[in-house]
Amino acid sequence: MYLGGLVRKEFGRIRSNKRTLLLLFVIPIILIVVFGLTTGVGITKLFTSAIITCDDMPTYDDFPNNSSKYDDTFISIMQYNTSSWDLYRYYNATNSEEYDNAYHNCYNFLKNGDIHIIIILPANFSESVENKISPVLIYYIDGSDLAAITAIEVAIQEPIALFRAETDMIANFTMMVPYLEFDVPFWESAILNYAIPIILPIIILGTTINLTSLSIVAEGPLPRMLVTPTAKREIILSKLIANSVIMMLQSTEIFIMISFFGLYSLGSLFYFFLVLLMIGFCGICIGLFISTLSPTEQSANQMYLIMFIMIILFSGSVLPLNADLQGVQIFINLLPLSNAVPLITDITLKGLFPNLENLFWLNLSSLIYIILAYIIYMFKKLEV
Amino acid sequence: MVNVENLNVKFGENHVIHDVNFIVNQGEIIGLFGISGAGKTTIVRVLTCQIEKKHWTGNVKVTDLSPAKKTNHSLILTNIGYVPQLELLNLYFDLSPIDNVEVFTSTYGKNKKEAIKIAKSLFKILDLPEDTWNKRVKHMSGGEKKRLSMAIGLIHRPSVLFLDEPTTGVDASKRYDILTYLKKLNQTLNTTMFIITHDLESALICDKAAILREGKLLEFDTPQKLISSLPSKGLVARFTVEHLNEKLIDYIKKFSAIKTLLRVGNEEIEVLMDDFEENLPKLIQYMIDNNIKINSMSKDFASFRRYFQIRIQEEEEKEKKFKDSEGD
Ligand SMILES: Nc1ncnc2c1ncn2[C@@H]1O[C@H](COP(=O)(O)OP(=O)(O)OP(=O)(O)O)[C@@H](O)[C@H]1O
Ligand SMILES: [Mg+2]
Repeated sequence: MYLGGLVRKEFGRIRSNKRTLLLLFVIPIILIVVFGLTTGVGITKLFTSAIITCDDMPTYDDFPNNSSKYDDTFISIMQYNTSSWDLYRYYNATNSEEYDNAYHNCYNFLKNGDIHIIIILPANFSESVENKISPVLIYYIDGSDLAAITAIEVAIQEPIALFRAETDMIANFTMMVPYLEFDVPFWESAILNYAIPIILPIIILGTTINLTSLSIVAEGPLPRMLVTPTAKREIILSKLIANSVIMMLQSTEIFIMISFFGLYSLGSLFYFFLVLLMIGFCGICIGLFISTLSPTEQSANQMYLIMFIMIILFSGSVLPLNADLQGVQIFINLLPLSNAVPLITDITLKGLFPNLENLFWLNLSSLIYIILAYIIYMFKKLEV
Repeated sequence: MVNVENLNVKFGENHVIHDVNFIVNQGEIIGLFGISGAGKTTIVRVLTCQIEKKHWTGNVKVTDLSPAKKTNHSLILTNIGYVPQLELLNLYFDLSPIDNVEVFTSTYGKNKKEAIKIAKSLFKILDLPEDTWNKRVKHMSGGEKKRLSMAIGLIHRPSVLFLDEPTTGVDASKRYDILTYLKKLNQTLNTTMFIITHDLESALICDKAAILREGKLLEFDTPQKLISSLPSKGLVARFTVEHLNEKLIDYIKKFSAIKTLLRVGNEEIEVLMDDFEENLPKLIQYMIDNNIKINSMSKDFASFRRYFQIRIQEEEEKEKKFKDSEGD
């Protein structure tokens, strides 16, 4: 078996390619550190809120035991107890005129960016809590920033969780803009955690494709290998193995780094790591595919760029895509980001089991790329 | 060691090699000479299992195995070595010579330790300085890379080594070094060598020279024998003639003993004749009688370079005559 030596050779070549290795191992660190630090350690209040209560006898500040008790608790939590929220203004509105006024003011705050959310506690809020009925909570958020919506929807879970702990509440909240109810607080690194599903696959794909896209075109002595008893398939297999090992190291590094900076995954960390590996593997398959398809190094670089742009554009995260044509949908599914983003989102933010359809398409695309690479390589005319 | 009988190679309508025959014995150095497009590389590619059987016919044996059979390929490729023309195609520049040895050893599935031992002895024969063995190939000089390339071709102890243009792109003084090293390797290891080359000086170390032209093998013999097959065993008279021009050349050619006349410089010609010793004074007299001014004159045996020129010229003239007669 000639594989051992070939694999060692691949390692030697990868090792000598300092720039690519730097990209592979340092970029994730930089990005994670930047995102990790951006979230702070919980000192900064990330979001600002305004609250309108509609209970009859609001006596916030001097806590008598009346029906607005829980409104006060909620407001107090918003003001003092959360790590991610700040209370900007508080209004009490017991009739529609007061409500309209309060809402109008809040609307302007929201519009000007003074606040991120308007929370409305309806008239029967405290009563519902007292009677152990699901209390209703209404909120309005700025819809112009897609990214902020999710972050805010995620962060609002913190005061809710705190409130429930404080009041020993068993019933769920009924959200008027309901998304998903999270049981576990993970706002410590909200930005990092929020960025992970999109940033992480992009880093992994970008660097692994970069690692492998030159591995065949740029290897001068490759044709000469064919004047030895080495088979072509052993050559391509050795590349797959060596690059996969490097990719695993990278995934491990990323995994450790983000754990250090407070990855709070609702779902299984094992699945999370597994999905990282699958994404990396797909990157390697795409890289090898590009490398076999390209006649020159320059064209490999161009194809890398084109492929990468396509992957990002059609990921579903940049442009909301809804392909009616089945062919287009399959094309999008074969671009790894369109599956990688939902997979990581599901695991970390929603705590779900990885979506089987996404898993299927992600790995199917890896398989297709590597098989294509193999076929092209077998038919490629290599002459010494 | 290598037998070629009636080799014909066709790429579609393009008939590239015509009825080539030769036999090579163990330990011989064979030079494959021919101008560009003559078919040198094509023949070597047949011998090294790189051309599919559907493109060629004939009875070919390399180390007693036929490349016609796909199942023989891996054995043949184990028995032969190949040194490509460009080092870039043979060496991993980012790895050290020893690492390169390891890589190529693994492609032959041979024992690593033993291969490194062999490699070190080869490095010594080739005078590769020991301090370069573990540094990157990138930093070696051109000549060192060339020699390393040759060593890599030999690490698995092949019985036949193919070298593509080993002296091209190397300056004149180094060229002789390379040839000397090749001869040294050939003598110490008794490796059969095929040298594809445009460099006619390489004939110095060749036991046999194969001269190819347009896919046909014109000659296959020792360079000495080929040279002495010329008129008067290859004796050449060289003249420097004042105001030499085509008309003058035609005039000199009229001297009946002249077999071949070559213009080799602005005012220089070389002449081959039957009965050289007898006819030389007569030729000089003929030129003096006709007011052709000779500035200098010398005699020598033809070099292989000259032989090659004459042989190719002869062939071209033959072809031209054949075409002219066809035209009539
Ligand atoms: N795969 C091929 N398909 C078609 N024609 C080919 C192929 N390979 C070689 N030829 C033709 O065969 C002829 C001989 O080519 P070959 O490469 O053997 O020449 P050569 O003697 O090695 O020349 P050079 O000194 O330039 O390397 C050329 O005319 C070439 O165009
Ligand atoms: Mg050639």
